[in-house]
This record gives sequence, structure tokens and C-alpha cells, in this order.
Amino acid sequence: MKRRLFTLLILLVGLSCKCQVKEGFGLFTDHDLYTSGENILLKVFVPSNELPGIVNVGLFNLKGMQVSAAFLEMTDRQANGYIHLSDTLSSGCYFVRTTTRTSATQTVKEVYIANRFSGLSESGIFLRPTGVVPIFDVPIQTLQVEGIEKSYKRRENVHVTLRFSSELLSQTDGNLHVSITRLTPGFNFSTFYTHAKPEFSRTVGNEGMIISGTVTDAGTAKPFNNAIVFLTVPDSSPRFQYFNTAENGRFYFQLKNYFGEIPVVLQCFDPERKHELKIRLSNTENLLASLPDFETIVFPPELREIVAKNVEAHNFSRIFSQLQLKEKPVAEAKAGKYPFYGVPTRVVYPKQFIDLVNFDEISRELLQGVRFRENNHVLTLQLFNFQRNKFFDEQPLILLNGIPVEDIQAIRNLGTKEIDRIEECLSERFYGNLQFPGVIAIYTTKSDYSWLNESDSVLKLRLNAIEPPSILNSPTDNNFKEPDLRRVLLWLPSLKPEPNMNIEFQTSDVRGRYKLEIRGMGRDGKFFYKENFFEVN
Amino acid sequence: MLFVVALLGILAANKLEAQEEVPKNWNAEKIRGNRFLPDATYLGTPFIFENFLNGKIELEDGTMIENLRLKYNNYRDELICYNSAISTQIVVDKISVNSFTLTDEKGIFHLFRKLYYTGLMPGDRYFEILSEGDISLLVYRKILLLSCPVYGEMGKEKNMSYQEAFSYYFYQVKKGFELVKPEKKSLLSKFDASNQKSVKKLLQQNKISVNDETGFVKGWNLIKSSGVAVNF
Repeated sequence: MKRRLFTLLILLVGLSCKCQVKEGFGLFTDHDLYTSGENILLKVFVPSNELPGIVNVGLFNLKGMQVSAAFLEMTDRQANGYIHLSDTLSSGCYFVRTTTRTSATQTVKEVYIANRFSGLSESGIFLRPTGVVPIFDVPIQTLQVEGIEKSYKRRENVHVTLRFSSELLSQTDGNLHVSITRLTPGFNFSTFYTHAKPEFSRTVGNEGMIISGTVTDAGTAKPFNNAIVFLTVPDSSPRFQYFNTAENGRFYFQLKNYFGEIPVVLQCFDPERKHELKIRLSNTENLLASLPDFETIVFPPELREIVAKNVEAHNFSRIFSQLQLKEKPVAEAKAGKYPFYGVPTRVVYPKQFIDLVNFDEISRELLQGVRFRENNHVLTLQLFNFQRNKFFDEQPLILLNGIPVEDIQAIRNLGTKEIDRIEECLSERFYGNLQFPGVIAIYTTKSDYSWLNESDSVLKLRLNAIEPPSILNSPTDNNFKEPDLRRVLLWLPSLKPEPNMNIEFQTSDVRGRYKLEIRGMGRDGKFFYKENFFEVN
Repeated sequence: MLFVVALLGILAANKLEAQEEVPKNWNAEKIRGNRFLPDATYLGTPFIFENFLNGKIELEDGTMIENLRLKYNNYRDELICYNSAISTQIVVDKISVNSFTLTDEKGIFHLFRKLYYTGLMPGDRYFEILSEGDISLLVYRKILLLSCPVYGEMGKEKNMSYQEAFSYYFYQVKKGFELVKPEKKSLLSKFDASNQKSVKKLLQQNKISVNDETGFVKGWNLIKSSGVAVNF
């Protein structure tokens, strides 16, 4: 009996240990106080037990609802990027959270955002978390900062040298983060770890974005087995994926190497055409896993003054259209050498011929092997099968700007003015387990897809894919006649450590106390930092 | 009994916390192609491997698709994949393939790579790699459909037959293809007169007779490892 109880106890201890927070993410932002319309600059160090791929960073309000998000590409277990704060965000405390879809922990940082139109509330009262265990990192002494003065003039060029000991260099894992930001005195915003429920198991991987959802029977609202879901990223060379649902009606798509905002169309249907289906996306990312308790705090008067100045400075920078960041060009996801439906048998550019008013005329005059007919008000489209030397009996796959079209009426009125090119595949095509009795792909001059009506079985989305890399705009890019209102003088999130590192920057027109901060991650997984302070007068 | 129930309860509770399980190969790369339609029957076969063999395909973007049933159509220089889910033979789009491998019934591994042939009738062709290196030894395992006497041992037969017409090449990325015959004379012609004697001696010492494909490959591998300079 004792032995059994002991086994049970060991099992319980083992399972509870599994739930404990292990290594967390290192999450660092440029400031703690922001104005709506600004960017939160982010640096994330990823624990060694995480899979390479994507880091999710979200901005959450005090109700735990996500208000903004960024998907950052992980390189050497580090990620950097930004979250843009909408102009309309109300003043108050928010949380920046970082995690991955397979992580059991998440790191949360508290920030305060002041609305740029209304500023702080008159009462100066706000809620902030209480009872959390803040994370403290280890300061290091083996890193020397040479050439830094106690104070600088405005718009002064500064040169600083960082000297690393060989011991520190050997212990440093990956790149360093170096930043110079204006300090906010008198208030400490905390960073803490919380538990997270991983969205997917680790076997799924962490590369690229995953879109998931459920297909249900529109009549019974039950998950639908064996539905086909199409995902299209419309483009001049469209990208296409499909998924066959199982009994739970779930579908998954992985979007690799997509950057910035991308249009996505999701369509689902019953292969037997007997049931009306409904498609909906999972939205597991929009809730903070757990919320701390809150306490009411009164804003200190000096902080009120700083926030007011920040708001004023930001509004000025908006007047002068000063952009804090500029995007670096990235290699976009390529659709490959040829479209998913194969190398076209023939490509026709209707503009090279006489103007024809509709697709009926185009099919008769310009297209070979296409039979577009109307019999008793029923439209039919058939392609010629060159392999078997006869027309297919079934309707081919019709694509309009890459999006599968079921209703032929959608292409009926397209004439020479509307069509850029038509691609025909006059053979039986296969894409995975999908079989197409020929393919006809029509690309219009206007790359819109307003013709596609959103319905229960169709979703048109604009998705934020991986955030394109960006760099801080340097003052040389700005017009010197304009006020230089930068609060971030330097943001180098990925700097290769060397024994001697020269750092150059220029102070701005914003007076105050600034912090030079160097952060890194040791090979033991612990974060270290070095700080130096100076004034700008 | 109580212990077992408690144990199962704990394990079940732990299981409930587990993440959403995604089906296997849910994001596997899809094979694209046309339906395979067999040619009319003639004497012989357009395949050197008559059956579907286990193999894998490396796509142009580097993606590997494994555990496939593949067949190489030597006559048409096409790769055929059997899709068991839809019971269909699919001619894989050549444009999408970088290389593929087949493991034959004897367990011998064959690596085919798509290369752009610049000689007569230029275009992408599948070459079997016999020996890989700075200078690779390749074979284009072509089967031709040629006319033949209608009357054979069985009486009146077909007037066309499939016949092997393999071409062997030395290949270097910079210099391209150079035709070679699987014969000793052809192999020796790739060396300077001063080196030919040492090559002959090397082959003799290792008892390799270069008069067929196997001997040629063995001989070439031996010479390659000995570091004798090749005229290419």
C-alpha cells in the first residue's frame, strides 16, 4: 500500500513539475511609456528549448483581449521587430506578451499607453498588475563602455567603444542588443512569466504561420467530415493549398515565408455537393492565458508631465511626417517556377487582338480547346483533353486571379478590357489528391476580388504574416531643419559581439536622461545587461 | 483497484491538458502532374524497372517527398508516381523535380538528377548518377522505339520494339557533358599519353576489366581516388 502511495505521489510531483514555468523569453522594449500612434520596439531572446521558427508578440488590454500583434521571424534564437500602436488606443496599462505556438510559458511586460488626442485621464488614476513576480536580470562588470560622457549637447555626434572580455565573449550566445533610449524616471514597470497553453504540439513545428479552423454543416452545426477547404493567396502567380477535414471538421494551413499583410481566401465545400457548409477560423491567440490581479495607482505628477511632453513630441513628429522605422526589403515567398495548376498549354493575351465584349466571344475567337456554351439559360464550360483527344465531360477548374470559381456567371461578362491574360491547361491535372479536368486561369487587369461574395463557406481575409524586418531611421535621413524628436537614439537589436565594438549615434533635440543598454543571453540561458547613463542638455 | 482508478484519473487529467493534435503529413508538399496514359503495346518495354519501386523526390525548392511508389519511363524520360489515395498513376511535372531516387528489387539504390542537356535535342533530362564528384559519370538510360521485323520466333509480331540506347557522359557543371563509351579505350582517351600507362597499370593491379558499365564505374572510381589528372 505504501509503495503504491509512493508511486502516486511521485507521479503527482512529476506532473506538477511539468506544469512549472521553466525558461522564459527575454522580452525588452524601447520604453515603458508610449503614445498611441507610436511603435513599441521589441527585442526577444528565445529559450534554448524552443523550436526555431516564429515568435508571436501581442499587445493585450487589461481584459486580456489582444489589440495588436506581430509575428517575428526567429534567427539564432532571437527575434526583433515592433508593434504599431493604433491612434485610437485608449489611455491605460497594457501588456506586451511573447510566446510561440508550442511554448508552455509566456513572458509578459507591462507598458503604459497614452492616447495622443485625449492624453491622460483627468483623475490620473490607472490600474496596474499586482502580485506578479518580476524578472530581474544579472548586470555584468566584464563589459567596459569607453568614451561615454556624463552629458552631451543636443544633436551632438557621439562615439562610444564597447570592450568585451574574452571570457564574456565565449559565454555569450548569439548576438547582442544595444539601445540608447530616453529614461522615464520614477516608475518601474515589471516583466513577468506566466503559464501558457500551447496551441499545438511540438511535432507540428513552428515554422511559418498556421491558419486553423473548423468546417461545420450549415444545417446541423456539427463538424463536417471530408470537406475540402481551399486556401488561395491571390496573385499574378497564385499560391494555393487544400485540406481534407477529418471527423472533427478541423483544417490547418501553414504559410511559410510570407511577409507583411497578405490577402487570403478560404473556401470550403462538400465534394458530393449535398450539404451547405460553414467555415470559421480559430482565434486562440486573442486571449491572454491568465490575468494577474490589479491595483489602482495614481500617476506621479512628474510622470504626468513626461507623458504630456511625449504626446506633444509625437504629435509634432506626425506633423513633419517623421517615420521612426524603415522597412528592409525581404525576399517574398515565391510561388515557384510555375503555378500550382501546372505549366499552361497555352497563354492568350486578349489585348493583342480585336476588342471582344464578353467571355463568350473571347472563347469563340481566341481560345482553342474551350467550349463555352449557354443552353436553356444554363452556362457550361468544357476544355479539350489533348491526351485523350476529346472534350472533358466535367467542368474544369476555373480560376479568377487564382481563386477557384464555381459559378461560371462570374466570368461571363469579362471582355478584352477586363482580362489581362488567360492560361489553359488542356490535360487532366493533379495537385496532390485533387484532380482537375483541365484548368482555365483568367487574370484580370484589376487585381481585386470583389466579385467573390463572402458567405458561410467563403472567407476573405487580410492576414498579417511575418513582420518584415525594419531598421531605425537615422538622423541623416531626416531633414535637419525639422525638429529631431527621437526618444530612441540607437536601436541595434542584432549586433555580432566582438572584442571591440564601435558605436556611433547622434543625440536628438529631446533633453533628458538617456540610458545606453547592452543586453545579451549567456550560453546558460540567463540574460545579462550593462547600463550607462548620460544627460542631453 | 482504487490505486489503478486514481492512476488512470491522473493520467486522463494530464491528457486533457494536451494540445490540439494535427494529422500526420498535414502540410506535406503536393505532387503536381498529368495523368499517365500507357503507350500502345510493342515488343519489349519502355521501362527498365517494370514495377513501381520505393523512392523519394527532391523538388526544385529542396523539399523532399519520401515514401513514394515511383517508376521511371525510360522511353518518354518521365517520372511516374502512383497515388494510392486516388489509385492513379501521375506523370510528375519535370519542371518541379530536382532529383529522385529508386531502390530496386535487389535493394540497389539509383539516383537520378534532372540536368539541362545542351547537346542534340537540348532540354531537361533525367540522368542516373553512376559516380558523383567534381567530374560525375552519368548515364542517360534512354529506351528507343524502333522498327523491327514483323515476323519473329512467335510468328507474326509487332513491327516496333523498345530497345535500350544508353548514353554515358562525363559531366562537370562548368564544362557540361562529354560523351564516353563504357570501354577501356574510351576511358583511356580521357587521359594524357603520359598518364595512360599508369591508368592501365592501376586497372591491371586491381583486376578491373573495363568492358561494361559495372567495370567502367569501378575503374572510374578507382582512377578518381588515385588522383590521376583527367582531360576534360
